[in-house]
Amino acid sequence: MDFVLFSTLNGIIYGLLLFMVSAGLTLIFGMMGIVNFAHASFYMLGAYIAYSLAKLIGFWPAILLAPLLVGLIGVAIERGMLRRVHKHGHAHELLLTFGLAYVFEETVKMLYGNYAVPYSIPADLRFPAFTLSGADYPFYRVFIGLTALVMFALLFWLLRRTRVGIIVRAAVRRPEMVGALGHDVPKVFMGVFGIGAWLAGLAGAISGAFFTTSPNMALELGIIVFVVVVVGGLGSLEGALVASLLIGLLTSFAAGADVALADLGGLVGLGPAMKAIGGIFTVKLATIAASVPILVMLVVLLLRPSGLMGDKT
Amino acid sequence: MRIGLGRVRSWLGLAGVLLTLLPFALSPGATGAATSMLIAALFALSFNLMIGQGGMLSFGHAAYFAVGAFATVHAMMAVERGSLWLPTPLLPLAGALAGLVVGAVAGYFATLRSGVYFAMVTLAIAELFHTLAPNIVGLFGGESGLSAMRQPWLGLTFGSAREVYGLVLGWAVLAGLALYLYTQTPFGRLTLALRDNERRVAFLGFNPHRSKVLIFTISAMFAGLAGGLLAVANESANYVLFGLGYSANVVLHTFIGGSTVFLGPALGAALLTLFGYVTSDLTRLWLLYQGLLFVVVMMFMPLGVGGFALEKAKTARSADVSRSAVVYGLRVPALGLVAAGTVFVCETLGVLLSRDYLAQTERLGKMLPISVFGRGWMPNAPITWLAPLALFALGLLLLRLADRRATADSMAESDR
Amino acid sequence: MTAALDIADLRKSFGRGADIIRGLSLRVAEGERHAVIGPNGAGKSTLFHLVSGLYAPDGGQIRLHGRPIAGLAPHRINRLGLSRSFQITSVFPKLSVFENLRLGILARQGWRFTLYRRVAGLPGIGEETRALIDQVRLAHVADRAAGNLTYSEQRALEIGMALASDPRVLLLDEPTSGMSRAESDYMVDLIRAVTRRRTLVVVEHDMDVVFSLCDRISVLVYGQIIASDSPAAIRADRRVQEAYLGEEAG
Ligand SMILES: Nc1ncnc2c1ncn2[C@@H]1O[C@H](COP(=O)(O)OP(=O)(O)O)[C@@H](O)[C@H]1O
Ligand SMILES: [Mg+2]
Repeated sequence: MDFVLFSTLNGIIYGLLLFMVSAGLTLIFGMMGIVNFAHASFYMLGAYIAYSLAKLIGFWPAILLAPLLVGLIGVAIERGMLRRVHKHGHAHELLLTFGLAYVFEETVKMLYGNYAVPYSIPADLRFPAFTLSGADYPFYRVFIGLTALVMFALLFWLLRRTRVGIIVRAAVRRPEMVGALGHDVPKVFMGVFGIGAWLAGLAGAISGAFFTTSPNMALELGIIVFVVVVVGGLGSLEGALVASLLIGLLTSFAAGADVALADLGGLVGLGPAMKAIGGIFTVKLATIAASVPILVMLVVLLLRPSGLMGDKT
Repeated sequence: MRIGLGRVRSWLGLAGVLLTLLPFALSPGATGAATSMLIAALFALSFNLMIGQGGMLSFGHAAYFAVGAFATVHAMMAVERGSLWLPTPLLPLAGALAGLVVGAVAGYFATLRSGVYFAMVTLAIAELFHTLAPNIVGLFGGESGLSAMRQPWLGLTFGSAREVYGLVLGWAVLAGLALYLYTQTPFGRLTLALRDNERRVAFLGFNPHRSKVLIFTISAMFAGLAGGLLAVANESANYVLFGLGYSANVVLHTFIGGSTVFLGPALGAALLTLFGYVTSDLTRLWLLYQGLLFVVVMMFMPLGVGGFALEKAKTARSADVSRSAVVYGLRVPALGLVAAGTVFVCETLGVLLSRDYLAQTERLGKMLPISVFGRGWMPNAPITWLAPLALFALGLLLLRLADRRATADSMAESDR
Repeated sequence: MTAALDIADLRKSFGRGADIIRGLSLRVAEGERHAVIGPNGAGKSTLFHLVSGLYAPDGGQIRLHGRPIAGLAPHRINRLGLSRSFQITSVFPKLSVFENLRLGILARQGWRFTLYRRVAGLPGIGEETRALIDQVRLAHVADRAAGNLTYSEQRALEIGMALASDPRVLLLDEPTSGMSRAESDYMVDLIRAVTRRRTLVVVEHDMDVVFSLCDRISVLVYGQIIASDSPAAIRADRRVQEAYLGEEAG
């Protein structure tokens, strides 16, 4: 019972974190048609910059300032680089962001070394939020979840209630139409790119202190975030939220589950056969937890490429 | 001016002779590097069959490379045990076969989607292999991978780097030739058409899905062959071959070299592998430089180095040569200066912030000079930071001048 | 005699409230030059997409020389002898005109998955391609990349690609749209020349073109054929005048 409860909580909070990163990615794709391979790098940069700043200006100012810097980096990339190669097509833009992700990772390795840095939450934040059947649940985890919820509310309000939000939503639906209406689309693009980067940076700044901050955090999270936006439907913010929670829960349960595929097969009478084949079927689910979201993404891509909520393919 | 086929042929012939003689001039270590260059070149050519010719951007091409490597190691192990008869030079065929089979299955599904979605499927397939492989010990040898020994054949021991190089060179040339001939076949022409306009192909009477599966399969087969060559050269294979890093490298190689020119990707792969071999002893930052190079090429040379060169060669007329000589006489050193400035800063920072250096500073109570470009630089001396800045600024200034010159030239051109 | 094309009760919807083809029936006799006219958005292109296999119909039947083809893949329908052009030019922009047309010829002759022969050495392919280039009058730009052609050259190439399959039935979607009078006359002349001994179905807005080129006219309005008759009868038809010709001719 406790396993279920803790896994659920962890899953939801991890899912909300995923949402903070995937929101920008899915909006950018929806509006600009760019699959931004460097998006998860913003998450990594947020963590590293906050780590450096925290030593200088303290933890709280650092996690406020770092995302802003990351947002600026995002704006610079959009203005200075992506816009210049736009004429060569989406594949070219994608390749450029791919190269940027590569460069960011190597830059971080150059500056901080190819290992995790000791970025951690201040001691006075290490207290339990509550205790359940004798086990403490850390406050900071709850804090991560709450931040993500606030961000979701903010984003939702921006998109639904402001003029810019309406333009953004229109641009996601009909990118070719908005320019015709006379709105300054490049500025809107830049804004969305900046906000997306800022959000990802915030997620990194906050969660980097709780999880690990290392040069491969961008790659690891990047793949999961791709899974999220694909499952949710490229371009759909609501889809990204639902998929984030789904993938969060899935990974959280898969990581803790002490079952093998053959055990699951046993439920439908395939157990012995699968055990006999051995190999992949007898591997514990927990050890292949990393494969589960990828498998989900593959299935979605093949069966329903528009995702759970997307209407574009 | 068009480039005569005869001229291309004689250049290629010369290259072939040089490649054959190369190991006699190199140390075993350098011969090993040349072997890696050939393998990377073949891998990039196989990848470019998909993106450059077929218009399908695969982000998981390492999967087929790795499958080929593992199949070849398995074949080597079987030969070692005596349960399979296969002369060492033919071992890579096991890789090609495995690449073909896995590529056909993966390709069947991946090609159901196109564009970004296709890229995602290929990425997911490779990542699935990458996450599953270490858990399937029987097939992939777990985290430590598999290894086997090359067996002698017909008096060849395959014990020296030179013999391995010869084997790899033979296969790489053969496969490269096959891939080139592919472009001359009816199906090769269809491949280009699929890249240009997939939908139209169906209305000419071709089955587009089946065609794309075939392209994917052939590409995976050659990737598998390249992987097989790696396995023969290394006598081992490890699950990390499935990783995104290898898939990323082939993308970098291909686009730096230029995906629109047949040999562009091979050129890119060979150059970058060489670059890695030369610089990895000098600096641990060479991956960063490779990434930066890629970004710069994508920004300013969208057709890659090969495409750029070919474009220039095609449009160059004798009257323009002196003019562009001036422009490039400015541009090349300018880029050199910018690169030197960048390297300078990166190297200094890389050492300054490294664990070892920090510990050493702590221990000695003072900083020691950092060696860059064969000279020691004190991190706390202004010159250490002003020098690269000056290089950088000077480079940018020259680039500006070159640009201005180029625009002036092209305006003079259009006036005429 | 079986019709070249016999469409009965065809239906296609793109979701609720978007029933585009609503029980459409149409017969095109062998050897006929048949125009489909109708207002913008009536579903003419959609009809072509259904007949040529780009979309699968929701209901109804399409017979090509008596053979049911509804729902078949485009390449299958093409091999059964029906070929089409696109309203929005759809060629291979980076390939030369020669290559564009040669691909169609290769497909027809069955050199589809051929990996063991060089294309340059295939018997008759080059000659046939050049003949086709001459037929669509593009010899002067044979080596130019299709993407660099002028608009009307691209339209001619578009028709050439449809012809490369040597189809018994040819569908042309607005072949003269966006052309000047002279270009359009030239195109009509070309179409007339290349459709000898073929069945032609053409979507066309220009009534001069329709009346000079076609033996029979069908009027498509809001997803249905409301009239199908000789040009003279169509000109006289009151319903047609109300629904369509009125605005166009008036
Ligand atoms: N793929 C599609 N999805 C939704 N609506 C479509 C699609 N294709 C065409 N339509 C709609 O069907 C109607 C008919 O289009 P079309 O057949 O192109 O008309 P036309 O007679 O001008 O060629 C139009 O209203 C168009 O918006
Ligand atoms: Mg139309």
